Amino acid sequence: MLSSKIEETSKEFSKDILSVKNAEELEKLRIKYLSRNGILPALFDEFKSVPKEEKPAAGKALNLLRNEITQKYNELKDKLSAESKRSSSKVDLTLPGKKYPVGSKHILTQTLDEIKSIFKGMGFSVFEGPELESDYYNFEALNFPPDHPARDMQDTYFVSDDFLLRTHTSPVQIRIMEKMKPPVRAIMPGRVYRNEAISARSYCMFHQVEGLYVDTDVTFAELKGTLVSFAHQFYGKELKYRFRPSFFPFTEPSAEMDITCFICEGKGCKICKDSGWLEILGCGMVDPNVFDSVNYDSEKFTGYAFGMGIERIAMLKYGITDIRIFFDNDFRFLKQF
Amino acid sequence: MKVSLNWLKDYVNLDGISTAEIVSRLTMSGLEVEDVIDQNEIYKDFIVGYVEEKNKHPNADRLSVCKVSNGKESFQVICGAPNVDAGQKVVFAPIGAVIPAGSFQIKKAKIRGIESYGMICAEDELKLSDDHTGIIVLDDKLEAGTPITDALGLNDVIIDIAITPNRPDALSHLGVARDLAALFDKEFKKPEISIDESGEDVKKIASIEIDDTVNCPRYSSRVVTGVSVKESPEWLKQRLVNIGLRPINNVVDITNFVMYECGQPIHAFDLDRLSGKKIIVKSTNGNTNFVTLDSKERELLPGTLMICDAEKDVAIAGVMGGENSEIYDDTKNILIESAYFNPSSIRKTAKYLQLSTDASYRFERGTDPDNTMFAANRVAQLIAEIAGGKVAKGSIDVYPNRIDEIKLTLRISRVNKLLGYDVSKPDAVNILQKLGMAVDESSDDNLLVTVPTFRPDIEREVDLIEEIARISGYDNIPSIPKISITLETKIDETSFTDKVRETANALGLFEMINNPLQSEELAMLTGSAIKLANPQSMDMAFLRTSLLTGALNAVARNLNKGEKNLALFEIGNVFYFNEGKSKISGFDDYSEKQHLVILLTGKKIDREWYAPVEHYDFYDLKGIIKSFLSKFSLDNFLNDSYYVKSNTIYEYYSRKIFNDAVIGEGGKVNKDVLNKFDIEQDVFCFEFDVDSLKNIPEPERMFAETLKFPKIVRDFAFIFDNSIANESVESYIKMKSSKLLKSVRLFDLFESKELGTDKKSMAYQLEYFDENRTLTEDEVEKDFKNLIKLVSKEFNAQLRGN
Ligand SMILES: [Zn+2]
Repeated sequence: MLSSKIEETSKEFSKDILSVKNAEELEKLRIKYLSRNGILPALFDEFKSVPKEEKPAAGKALNLLRNEITQKYNELKDKLSAESKRSSSKVDLTLPGKKYPVGSKHILTQTLDEIKSIFKGMGFSVFEGPELESDYYNFEALNFPPDHPARDMQDTYFVSDDFLLRTHTSPVQIRIMEKMKPPVRAIMPGRVYRNEAISARSYCMFHQVEGLYVDTDVTFAELKGTLVSFAHQFYGKELKYRFRPSFFPFTEPSAEMDITCFICEGKGCKICKDSGWLEILGCGMVDPNVFDSVNYDSEKFTGYAFGMGIERIAMLKYGITDIRIFFDNDFRFLKQF
Repeated sequence: MKVSLNWLKDYVNLDGISTAEIVSRLTMSGLEVEDVIDQNEIYKDFIVGYVEEKNKHPNADRLSVCKVSNGKESFQVICGAPNVDAGQKVVFAPIGAVIPAGSFQIKKAKIRGIESYGMICAEDELKLSDDHTGIIVLDDKLEAGTPITDALGLNDVIIDIAITPNRPDALSHLGVARDLAALFDKEFKKPEISIDESGEDVKKIASIEIDDTVNCPRYSSRVVTGVSVKESPEWLKQRLVNIGLRPINNVVDITNFVMYECGQPIHAFDLDRLSGKKIIVKSTNGNTNFVTLDSKERELLPGTLMICDAEKDVAIAGVMGGENSEIYDDTKNILIESAYFNPSSIRKTAKYLQLSTDASYRFERGTDPDNTMFAANRVAQLIAEIAGGKVAKGSIDVYPNRIDEIKLTLRISRVNKLLGYDVSKPDAVNILQKLGMAVDESSDDNLLVTVPTFRPDIEREVDLIEEIARISGYDNIPSIPKISITLETKIDETSFTDKVRETANALGLFEMINNPLQSEELAMLTGSAIKLANPQSMDMAFLRTSLLTGALNAVARNLNKGEKNLALFEIGNVFYFNEGKSKISGFDDYSEKQHLVILLTGKKIDREWYAPVEHYDFYDLKGIIKSFLSKFSLDNFLNDSYYVKSNTIYEYYSRKIFNDAVIGEGGKVNKDVLNKFDIEQDVFCFEFDVDSLKNIPEPERMFAETLKFPKIVRDFAFIFDNSIANESVESYIKMKSSKLLKSVRLFDLFESKELGTDKKSMAYQLEYFDENRTLTEDEVEKDFKNLIKLVSKEFNAQLRGN
């Protein structure tokens, strides 16, 4: 039977190759298996007379054997020739250095690390929260009443009536305020999900960093100061910025922060939709209803919160135009950073 | 929402203020401008053209070769529209004109071998609508050469504003004008209404009854008789076209005009088609179907608020009218509906029907209950003016559930406390008054503010503070350059995973981030997966239960791109049902855990001048895991177990165990699993539960004195049966040796013909030392000899080389 012969040959070859120590022995090995009168061509000859119905299986096994033998033979040949080169007495300092691979963090992690280190420097703690959340933490406690159009701002993946994939990192605000009393100063990075069609501009998930500071006498002016300092540290000292009124249910007043488009330097381009400005984050003063839901006294304490999308920041910073590339994990992309 | 600057100017004087300034102030007050179309600018090169001739294109069936005159000279123009014909007046774009849609400039072109000097335009190309069925055919009376801005009245500026959900009042020209008046400190003028009530007494021709007063607190109405439904006058059509609406007939156009003027959605019923000339507002109980005016039959949720006549349903309240009562060309008598509906009721209905209309959009955000009568009057006035007919005497206004204005106290000092800067009392008063609020400023620090019903978003003091900040401008709030650092203990919950990532990098691994949403097949492979209730596709309908499957997907994609040698890791969360659960109604029903996966595949060393090709194998994986754990001082706390039999994932594998719990597992991925991904090369993978790793108390790390006395090293090699595992030899040596033996290490392993079949040689290095003294050769030699004897006997092994 051909199949049993193939198996025996494979075993025999594995044994034989172990005892090859030099070029001479390697040549013997080649002659035994691969030469015109070797075992392998003989097996292929025998294959011709195998019954038709057995041919596919036998052919596959035979090809596997051939690949195994040639591959192992070639590797050993390389190894022996490398050894002989190494023992050569001439030194060629221009030969390439040997490879010592060092890995890297995903570019989104690197971007987050940079953001984290700036805020840690300003006295912020770092907290995390779950991605699979209850409606209460994701919406209700953050002043999104049921049946309110504000819920349409975030297309949500539900897993049941009351549980969902969080649409923002803001629920972590509630979780940490439930656990501790003011002062609370923390950032909360994490993954969030949106039920949006996947395209170059949007993906079913992305990453945010949330920020929160609650104490007596926290003001909008301090929020501005902190975020301006962040933007200067992250984007550079020269940039101009502006705060625009906006709406988030969990902050009042609410704002969005824009910086001068650094691609066109404010003249207007495709990236900034000709406005000269790039929106980089949303922020505002914590809404009293949010304080109510965590039993903080909203007369005594004030606070600010902010949130930014890490993909957007990384896309702007590194000139990436398709968000999907972050999650494709093409090794060539991963190695770039 | 698109607003017309010309239209806004009816309600607020903006003379001397540039468009740029208006746009900038709107954006900076929270009405974010997304696009500005200055018609004078974008249509400046377009003129009325006269099609003198039309001939077939010799080389293309669907194209025509036209001669178009600009009044002075003629141009040869190729046109592809089916409706172009000689004798027409058309919109002509000469060479140099920039087409608004797509911003491309008209150049001399050769189309299928014939030259073309310009273009005849369709509505979509001019951004007038989405219509591309044919070119625009203009009024015959227009003169060729007339600028299109004059001919079509395109001399407006259209501002597209993104209105946030808290600002239903700004979903109208009056609402935007009110903000502009406050921003530029101008007078705000509401249109004045005068109605000639020349018709019959309205009570005799119609009646209204509200059954569900919770969901319909107010229903106001006017009746106009004897109207003639026809095309709207130019000015009205113009206004609607400019903001992107399609004119239909004068009655419908007026209802749209009034909605975009004051924000109140209006429905016009054909009174003669209302049985009993009666409106009843009530909610359905039980299952009902209804045919809306777009001729679609819709299944309604029980409890849907409906507008009914004496016999039947005639409209889904606040969402869409019915086919059975809409305005026809021969409609004579009209009942105008101007109501206030409960926002959440309308939202529920619109959501359920997946039907968002201009009306439902406004109702679900909250319209102004005090505005219903104004709007009904406004419609009646315009219908009488434009469509003729007589307005019935009196109005019907059923208002069973009054919604009152609320009064709020604003402490001026609180503005400072929240914003961090001082706003003067007169400034605050002026801003609030300009926004339509009544302000009682008799007390020193406090303002008593009456909030009009058109601002449902203003419910608390803080909302008033926002209004002041927004109108005076966030730029006025200082950005203070220092912050106070509080001295509570700082926590970083990400520090462990940071270290995991850094260690993985040092071991040559690259970080991936994979999509946690997967197909059922993949997610179920490694656990009891949780399904999304509303997935986008079946490929992304389940949450991953391990990181392995996503990593294998990434490997498959890389292989397709020719990237075959991969060393990867990922940290991410996995999700699964807890034992015995199959749906989620509480946090105890499922687990969310942070995992780490490490994956190796392909060649560790590709063809290199200095070394032979080497493929990743199980021992690379094992070594990486060991180095990884040693960085966390955890390697000595975890036990290993090894399995050479395949399980559902691995062909062979090992486990890391802490206190009887498996916290990591990995090995060579089996062929069945790889086949699912069409991966044909070996893949080695290890997955950890990072949450469990984190919870192992990190041992205290203490400095250990470096060795002061010499080590004594001995080697031996034995020939063993192939079935003997290294682990058992090592532990046997450790068990039987003296306390002076401090380490045993396998340093050589081989098989060869000379050794015989099913035999292998394993060589060990043994290290002896004592922290407190120098050892003697004799005591080491004694132990070493003893070990040789014991190992030979225990494993039936043969000592080599001696
Ligand atoms: Zn730009």
